[in-house]
Formats: sequence, C-alpha cells, structure tokens
Amino acid sequence: MFKKIFFHGLAAALLAAIAAIIYNRIYFFAFEANFSKLVNVPVLIAINLLGCLLAAFVYWGLKKWLGARAEIIFNFSFAIISFASITIPLAAKLPLDVQNPELFPGLTVPMHFFPALAWFTLNPLFKVE
Amino acid sequence: MFGIKPQLFHLKRITMKRLIYPVAAITMIIASAFTVIRSQDWKIGDDYSVKFTSDDPSGVFKGLKGTISFDDKNLASSKFDVSVDVASINTGNGMKNTHAKSEKWLDADKFPLIKFTSSAITSTSSGYEAKGILDFHGVQKEITIPFTFQNNVFSGSFSVNRLDYNINTSEPAHGASELKVDITVPVSK
Repeated sequence: MFKKIFFHGLAAALLAAIAAIIYNRIYFFAFEANFSKLVNVPVLIAINLLGCLLAAFVYWGLKKWLGARAEIIFNFSFAIISFASITIPLAAKLPLDVQNPELFPGLTVPMHFFPALAWFTLNPLFKVE
Repeated sequence: MFGIKPQLFHLKRITMKRLIYPVAAITMIIASAFTVIRSQDWKIGDDYSVKFTSDDPSGVFKGLKGTISFDDKNLASSKFDVSVDVASINTGNGMKNTHAKSEKWLDADKFPLIKFTSSAITSTSSGYEAKGILDFHGVQKEITIPFTFQNNVFSGSFSVNRLDYNINTSEPAHGASELKVDITVPVSK
C-alpha cells in the first residue's frame, strides 16, 4: 500500500512541478515580473516534491488509521490546507531589491493549489483499496 | 625722413611689450572680483539607497533626483536639492505598498515627492551637517541631517516622526511613528 501511495505522491509532485514551471514562464512573459531569485525551477521542484511526499505520508497514516473514510478526510484537508496556505505569499516580505512585490501573490497563489490538483487528477490511477 | 618711421615703430613695440604684463595682471584682478566661486556639482549614481527602518514598516524609496553641489573646501556655496518619488516605495510586500501609497498614509497622488532643500551645510567633528527644509506630505519642516562624504559616497542618517508630517494622525499607534532613514548616495563628477 505504501509503495502505491508513495508513487502517487511522486507522480503528483512531478505533474505539479511541471505545471508550476510552465505557469512561472507564462507569468514572466505576461507581466515581466522577475521573481527568479525566489521562484525558480529548483525551488519549484523541491517545494512540490516536499508538499506531495508529505501529503503521501499523511494519506498513508490516515489510511491505516481510518481505513475507507481516510480518502474523503484527506481530500478535504488537502483542499483546506492549500487554500489556507495562500496567506503565506500574501503576507510575505520580499527582499527589498525585488521589484513589484504587488505581482508576487499573482504568481504564487495559484501554485499553492497545484499539488492538490495534481494529486486529485492522478487519484484514479493510484486507487488504494 | 625714411629712417624715422621704423624707429617710431620699434619704440611702440617696446612700450607695448612692457605694458602687456601689467595690463594682463590688472585685467585678471578686475575679472576675479566678478568670479563666483561655485561648488562641485555631483551626478547621483544608480546604486543609491534611501532606506527607512522601524519595527513596522521598513522599506526603500527609489526615484532619487535633484542637484548635489558640494565642495568640502567651500561649504558656504554647497547645496542639496533632492527628492524621492513617493510612489516608488517598496516595503517588500505588495499589500503594504498599496496601503502606504493610499490617501490614508503617504497619499502619493496628492504628494508625489518628498523633497529636501538644504539652507546651510556645516562641518562637524564627525563629518558634516545639512540644515534644510524637508517637504513631506505637504508639511515643510526644518531638519538637520548629519552626513559624511568619503570616497565619493554621501552617507547620512536621521529620524522622522510621521505624526509631525500629518501622516495618519488618527491612528498614532498603527505601526511605528518614528522611522530611521538611512541614505547612501554614490556620486560622480
């Protein structure tokens, strides 16, 4: 069971990281806002890996503890935590040499939903009974 | 008859030669009376920093413009006439920047510039002092900015109380009222 959940987390991390990298490029071309000092390819891969693998561990724990009810509780919690986490980029104080901090939430807030979206998208492929 | 003319010409030349130096000296003395001793004008470098710090908020201003005339040997004719762009405020947070520029705080639309015009620059034991008017948020107030000038870099620090400049006086406890301003301006000739 753990192996399947772990690969679910890994695949979701990969998908979320790809989406984040593409969105980062589109945002840069659209607004010419350069946040590469804070948001770049290694950071995006690392954060999505961390988030999705952490989610995988939590899901595995919940599955062991709650059995069949684990999925709905996990999905609900994942969505709520993703939503709550948008306060982080909204309140973030960027280094003073970074221009246009007004545009930073526009880049990072959608990215906070990518791990959950990727997890839910791949869910049918990694169903654990 | 033909020999008199060259002799007269020679005499004239000798007289003119003798007079040329005294005339030049007199001209220079007279001209010097009309000469205004001007200070060196400096060009503001791109990597300047106008930083403000407090418990909350802290940030920087950009858009430093103006004239800097400074000569450490001629402080009487030295003068600062500079301004920063209020809308350029950067606290590192987009929401705070928007609030800072709003009518409630700095009102960047109505008061787009923060200006400092010096009236006197004097030498002190640690460097120099510029006394002048700080025009901030529509209030003109005399302040003194201690500063140093080393390796073509002006560095100065002073404190500003936002309540003295009628900035959000209805909420004196909202954020810090006293802000420390640190200015570093590299210049070139």
